[in-house]
Amino acid sequence: MDFFLKKRKNRLLVFSGTIIFALNLINIILNTPMVADQHWAQKIFYVHVPSAWVGFLSYFIVMIAGFMLYIKNDDKWDDIGLASAEIGTFFMGLVLITGPIWAKPIWGTFWIWEPRLTTTLILFLFYLGYFMFRSFGGNIERIRRQAAALGILAFINVPIIFMSVKFWEPEIQSHPQVEMASQPEGILYPFIFSLITFTFLFIIMLRFRAHTIRLKNSL
Amino acid sequence: MLFSLISKELLMEFRSKQIILSMLIFGLTIILIFALSTDISYEILTNYSPGMFWLMNLFIVVLGAHRSFAYEKEFDAFSLLVSAPIDRGLIFLSKWISGFIFLTATQVLLIAPFFKLLLLDMPENLSLFALTSLLINIGMMAIANLVAGIVIRSNFSEILLPLLLFPLLSPLMIAATKISSGVINSQHYEMWNVWVLIITSIVVIFGLAGYALFDFIVEE
Repeated sequence: MDFFLKKRKNRLLVFSGTIIFALNLINIILNTPMVADQHWAQKIFYVHVPSAWVGFLSYFIVMIAGFMLYIKNDDKWDDIGLASAEIGTFFMGLVLITGPIWAKPIWGTFWIWEPRLTTTLILFLFYLGYFMFRSFGGNIERIRRQAAALGILAFINVPIIFMSVKFWEPEIQSHPQVEMASQPEGILYPFIFSLITFTFLFIIMLRFRAHTIRLKNSL
Repeated sequence: MLFSLISKELLMEFRSKQIILSMLIFGLTIILIFALSTDISYEILTNYSPGMFWLMNLFIVVLGAHRSFAYEKEFDAFSLLVSAPIDRGLIFLSKWISGFIFLTATQVLLIAPFFKLLLLDMPENLSLFALTSLLINIGMMAIANLVAGIVIRSNFSEILLPLLLFPLLSPLMIAATKISSGVINSQHYEMWNVWVLIITSIVVIFGLAGYALFDFIVEE
């Protein structure tokens, strides 16, 4: 199997991804407007929300890969599922780091049991267990199928977790990004650009990680 | 076939008494620890009691679900069981139903020590408390047996089971605590009916997922 950057398409993806990500960072730091009562703290949302989006997207893909492995019984889907789970957990970790950094100056506390944050934390902890399971599981063929099942179970549990936490502490306000769509153009467009950039980054990371997993398995 | 599988589970337990006995003793030990570590007023303890009750159940469920599959590992009986010409989803159903029976039986024995040793009043509406607990037990055992079926043949299954089970059970734990709190505090059904719906959805989703996926999970 080839080196990842040996393919022209991959080289192009990595090059354009690097440019877009750099542009996104410059845009966030220099061009986005300051929100009156949040100042620099607000800018973390251009990273926090896209990270959360990519995290949930990754876990959704783990579920899809699980279903595909169930239907097709092709190991390729396990490679994609594992790669996606790793990337998702990385981004969920980023959400759990950037969330409290924003929350401390704005809410006055590092943590609030807000539905999305709580769902993120529960999924993050579950996936730490998932990786332990994959490491200590034993028979690799069986682990692939069982990990696929775990990926499916984790994602079908997401709406239940979200609704439970929402009803659990209804007085806790949700994140302000729900009103992002009604924000002035100065915030909305950089935010959408950041979302696209992170999604693009996710695609590159997924291709790369799935490639290295395949490479490792072929040895 | 399902009836035969459930009979097998019940007969095994009737002979060995491993599951109920270990769950019972563990439950009593947890109550003891709760009693010794909660030096708080009666009012606060009453507010905490539904959460403590379901926390105790969470721990004993881990023990029971693990034991229910672990004894199948001896002499590789589980491999023989899954290689039998039957619908493997039925194996999950039999584990689920028998696990529910064991958990409920243990709870019947633990409910009085829990309230009396913690110096709390028994729930006024005990029949409603029991009825809602039955629904919660069904949900708990659906998830626990599914995860136990996944991890049981891996190394360190006793560690992996709670690591994977607790996050999956977290919405059920919230719902269970809210329902029992509503019943203990004699709140109107309208105040906690949404939690009954959440538990019901958990039962349906995980029951169907377990039945559909078990064949795929245990395949050799």
